[in-house]
Amino acid sequence: MSQALTRYHALFESIRSRRRRPDDLRGLDALARRAGVRIRAARVNLAWLRREAQEIDKLAPEFRSSSDGVLDEYIERVRDQFRRGRAEDEIVRRGLALVREVARRDTGEEAFIVQLMGALALYHGRIVEMLTGEGKTLTGSLVAPLLAWKHRSLHIFTVNDYLASRDAQSRGAIYARCRCAVGAIVQEMEPAERFEVYARPIVYGTPKQITADWLRDQIRLGTITSAWAGRGMLSQGAGESAGPMIPGLRAAMVDEADAVLIDEGVVPLIIARSRRGDEMAEVYKQAAALAAKLDMGPDFTIDQLRRKAELKSRGEHRVDQMVAQIDGAIWRAPRRAEELVRQALAAKYCYTRGKHYEIVESRIVIVDEYTGRFLADRSWEHGLHQAVEAKEGLDVTADRETLARMSFQRFFRSYPFLCGMTGTAADATGEIESVYARPVEIIPTNRPIARAAWPMRVFRTQQGKWAAIAQSIEEVHRAGRPILAGTRSIAASELLSSLLMQRGLPHKVLNANFDKDEADLISGAGVGGAEAAITVATNMAGRGTDIKLDDAAREAGGLHVILTEMHGAKRIDRQFIGRAGRQGDPGSSQLFVSTEDELLSLHAAPLLRVLQAVQPSGENGVEIAGSELVARLFRYAQRQSEARDRRNRAGVLRQDDWIDKYLPGS
Amino acid sequence: MTAERPTFSPFWHRVRALTPRLRPHTQITRQHYRGRRWHVVHDPATNQYYRLSPVAHEFVGLFDGKRSVEEIWQIVLGKHGDLAPTQGEVIQLISQLHNANLLHADVSPETEQLLARGKERQAKKVKQQLIGLMYFRVKLFNPDRYLSLLEPILRPILNRWGFLAWLAFLIFAASQVLPEWDLLQKGFGSAISPANWGWMTVVFIVVKLIHETGHGVICKRFGGQVPELGVMMLVLVPAPYVDASACWAFNDKWKRIAVGAGGMIFELFVASIAALVWANSTPGQLLHQLAYNAMLTASVSTVLFNANPLMRFDGYYILSDLLEIPNLMQRSTNLLKHYAKTIIYRIKDSTPPTSIVSEQWIMGVYGVLAMIYRVFLFFSITLYVMGQMFAIGLFLAIWTAAAWFILPLGSFIHWLATHQSLAEFRTRAIATSLALVAAGFLLFGAVPWPDHRRGIGVIESPAQTGLFFGVDGFVRTVHARPGERVLKGAPVVTCESPELEAQLAVVRAMRDDAEAAERQARMKNPAAAQVAEERVRAFTDQERLLRERVEKLIVRAPHDGVLVGIDPAKFLGGYVKAGSPAGELVDDHGLRIAATLSQSEASWLFELPRDKYDVELRLVSRVDQIVTGGAVRVVEAAQKKLPHASLGFAGGGEYEVAAEDKSGTESKRALFELTVQPTISEDALASSMWNGLPGERVHLRFTLPDKPLLWQWLDHLQKTLQGRAQL
Repeated sequence: MSQALTRYHALFESIRSRRRRPDDLRGLDALARRAGVRIRAARVNLAWLRREAQEIDKLAPEFRSSSDGVLDEYIERVRDQFRRGRAEDEIVRRGLALVREVARRDTGEEAFIVQLMGALALYHGRIVEMLTGEGKTLTGSLVAPLLAWKHRSLHIFTVNDYLASRDAQSRGAIYARCRCAVGAIVQEMEPAERFEVYARPIVYGTPKQITADWLRDQIRLGTITSAWAGRGMLSQGAGESAGPMIPGLRAAMVDEADAVLIDEGVVPLIIARSRRGDEMAEVYKQAAALAAKLDMGPDFTIDQLRRKAELKSRGEHRVDQMVAQIDGAIWRAPRRAEELVRQALAAKYCYTRGKHYEIVESRIVIVDEYTGRFLADRSWEHGLHQAVEAKEGLDVTADRETLARMSFQRFFRSYPFLCGMTGTAADATGEIESVYARPVEIIPTNRPIARAAWPMRVFRTQQGKWAAIAQSIEEVHRAGRPILAGTRSIAASELLSSLLMQRGLPHKVLNANFDKDEADLISGAGVGGAEAAITVATNMAGRGTDIKLDDAAREAGGLHVILTEMHGAKRIDRQFIGRAGRQGDPGSSQLFVSTEDELLSLHAAPLLRVLQAVQPSGENGVEIAGSELVARLFRYAQRQSEARDRRNRAGVLRQDDWIDKYLPGS
Repeated sequence: MTAERPTFSPFWHRVRALTPRLRPHTQITRQHYRGRRWHVVHDPATNQYYRLSPVAHEFVGLFDGKRSVEEIWQIVLGKHGDLAPTQGEVIQLISQLHNANLLHADVSPETEQLLARGKERQAKKVKQQLIGLMYFRVKLFNPDRYLSLLEPILRPILNRWGFLAWLAFLIFAASQVLPEWDLLQKGFGSAISPANWGWMTVVFIVVKLIHETGHGVICKRFGGQVPELGVMMLVLVPAPYVDASACWAFNDKWKRIAVGAGGMIFELFVASIAALVWANSTPGQLLHQLAYNAMLTASVSTVLFNANPLMRFDGYYILSDLLEIPNLMQRSTNLLKHYAKTIIYRIKDSTPPTSIVSEQWIMGVYGVLAMIYRVFLFFSITLYVMGQMFAIGLFLAIWTAAAWFILPLGSFIHWLATHQSLAEFRTRAIATSLALVAAGFLLFGAVPWPDHRRGIGVIESPAQTGLFFGVDGFVRTVHARPGERVLKGAPVVTCESPELEAQLAVVRAMRDDAEAAERQARMKNPAAAQVAEERVRAFTDQERLLRERVEKLIVRAPHDGVLVGIDPAKFLGGYVKAGSPAGELVDDHGLRIAATLSQSEASWLFELPRDKYDVELRLVSRVDQIVTGGAVRVVEAAQKKLPHASLGFAGGGEYEVAAEDKSGTESKRALFELTVQPTISEDALASSMWNGLPGERVHLRFTLPDKPLLWQWLDHLQKTLQGRAQL
């Protein structure tokens, strides 16, 4: 009976959550909302947070001297207050102080004032910027029980499955003491197991896992609009098919919030199934063959920025001629024929292996450009995936048919309560405010940052740049300092690896291809001295794990971070540089760029030409004499790239909203 | 330049499995526009219309509540290939139908969603009302019952024969009235005088009600519903309107046109009756005046407003049906936008509202005309209303300027700053816009343009001599007629007087006698000779006097000038008495022009020395003749007395005069009076190029130093505002 009730409750909550439609505001309304967010956020400012944190700190001696039994009693009382909806500042202070004490007893970690401030900010629904190594995990676990009490159910999003299960495990004791059951959703779990985990107050998981489960729920629920209308489905099936898995979306805490909410925010998660008919496979191969016969320039042009091919009239003519000789109904419709050829061209010239995708076990796996990670189980839509397969000469998989799709952006906006942590939120304040209506709070570091930024070096050619990078790595390595070199793509990381190999430098490569032992590798990246570690990694590899320095490394001057290219978003660069100099450690960073980098040619091409004409060469003819002008050019290109991405995301958001608003059955 | 139409849409899954069908109450009719078939879906519940292309219609036609959208799409795709709607277009179509509540998908839209949509529509309506303050609408009632009563009565004549009869009647009425054109014109003055305003308003409302009844009745005649009658505040004048949009679903375009023209047909009928009444009633009667009012409103306002296709009144709908281009105004605007986008901003993926060249021409021309007209309308209406009621006019001007110019400008800037299609080259687009603005500013704000000011004046003459007949006599010859120029000493009229001639003959004979007697006496009798000599002298004197009198039979010009006044020809053959006037002679050397400038126009008179500006004079009667002006002297500043009644309203001039002033020279506004001395060459006078006479009106055109247009306009505006505010 109670099982049935739970299920009905889950169904009810699920439907309630999906009917929550984020309002889509434009123009002045949107501005007004942002102003509203600011005004409402005004009370919880940094000074207030510090005062409150100090108040909490004052409560510590009382709790520290209490016995376990007394503490449990206190916790029970506070929990009841939260569950009854009491949330005065005083009760929050008391609750936080209690959890802090619990954490101290269970894990031996005593939260700093800044961590308390962070926890409080999270409690008030902020996206919190805390630098790497400032103890985000602890901060999150301080506030998680409070949120779980208050909102009944809390989803904590982590970067990967490993971190989800690790955190659920390591923080389990704290939560257990706070009367909150905890669980982690990982890839391998069966639906029945998931169902059981989702019922717990605190659930760890990756955005992908939870969003996918949510989408599957949506498909299962179909178009019913009330729990009562869907009650039949509870009685019919047993086990997995009986109602939704996720009992509603209530509160979410997102780790690496900028990556999840912004960078990956618009990549839609798609649940698809293979189409029955498979006659299209041949068509894609034919299209690829046609595309191979066309000449770049006279027949078509490529727009790298938009990843599109445009046929010129000569190309159109040639396609028409060639198509006439191919059988197949699809080639009879000229527009669709051209569409297929354009797609094949785009697949050929705009998508490169090692950068946009990799081939794993003779299948195409998409690589996320921001994170450099494999996006397993995802595929491009509308035949692009098949076109790329045809281009690589792989078996063309069946065209898949979308059953449901949802962007993280849309998903996270369905939570009535949302908070998050990240190392770099400041640069995305505007977007977070306008899209998620969440204010951003920047929490100061516990200790001052002692990281030196070495001047940026600019080269005329890629070749010159890579040689200089290898040279620089060798020099720093000699000094006994550990080095972390970041690349934008898997291909680049492999290139650097081979250069280091030539110089006989021992190093480790961390890119999407070696995803599994990521955390171990990163934890060993802080070794200094004669055997100082050299780690080559793609941009965001190992996000969420710390690089802890050993004594030798610290003495030699700490971790040195090299960026081998400027990323399209400043945040990503900052995030990577932030790996050095954590918790007041010494460290340094340096940026290497070349005028052949894609960033410039895509986003500042005209200025680049001017620069090349004007700027004198440095002494070796390869390096451009570093000047403010060059640095500005790069920053300009970066801003352009950021703006472009922002626009794209806004476009996707608008489209999502439009669909939600105007299509039947939403 | 066709925009891409990708076959697939990422959101297809949202509609793929739906099994929609149209709601049972929707009606679909077929129409033809410029030889192509369209289908109009009508939702009687909300009275909204949707136009579907044949393929879209076929797509919708397959909706049966059982087939899924995916199946239907495949069917249409198999049949039409490239012509079939793409997934994106299907989504668009379904969303539109869904949001118009025309679609019955397997999920019934939630009540709250329906309500939300209704609210949205309401809010939009309110917004539109506020923006279009010049055409504020208030819904009053449903006129259906009244029209249902009327329509069966009129039905027998609402057909082709009725139309022909109507036309014949119209022509008959016109033939009765037009010969009396002078009288018609005269009536206009009294019709627009304030005393008539009350009656005018009453007549206007009645006539317009009949007009709207015309629309309604004809719409009903062809089976349409007329669910709404209301009042539109047309530039603050209440005018009734009806909602005859039901005619949009008529499949015969002539029926749609008939509904559009129905108002005017009824109104012109009223005008014809009124014309006959007016022609057959005596002036001075109330009926006569009322008939005139009705005739005026029912014909002039109809032609000026309703038939004008550049505003969204009857003429517009008739035109758009004639051209078979529905939604002409909006699509014309879109086409102009499209041109701006592709030509100025070089955006590639802009779709024109039509791809047919002939339609593009029509829309382009129409769009430009409508735009120009709109600007013209704005200025004329606001200035007019400002003249009547300054505060309201100013408010209306600001409001309308905001709605017509500032809002579009704002949304243009917003477009420029944020729109997706400009994302790649926003900098260039902004630079282009700034360059355009700069060029415009340069053209209007920096390049000097001729600056002209206008005034009006009356010719005055300092020397005006009366010509009189010198002696009694019969007029024999007339040498000059009024308007002709005569030189000094030239004869104007020659009279004859048999009496004088007889007297002269007698005197001559008697003098001859006396002379003979004198000669005789001189030889015979020197003493008598003395007496005879006396007699001769007396007779000679008498003869001289008579000769002088005879000389006076010819009336001569005392100086060069132009003959004015009485036409001496009317005395021809008649007897005139000495001292009676024979005409007047105006000295055309000494002519000067007494001119007026409104106070707001004339401040420059004090700022500029005379040699900085020129003045040209044109006679009202001969505008092709230009005479330059000489000395200019300000007689009096800021006074209200007109120099001549002919400048005032009552005298046919431009200045409004106080109604209570009998002389017609008391202006309502303060004026500057100045005199201008024309410089007229002797040749011009001799060849009678300039034949201006005292009392005639003269247009003055002052040419000031060149000045950028913008400053000229600002100057005008400032002066106008000042002038009005002081009122």
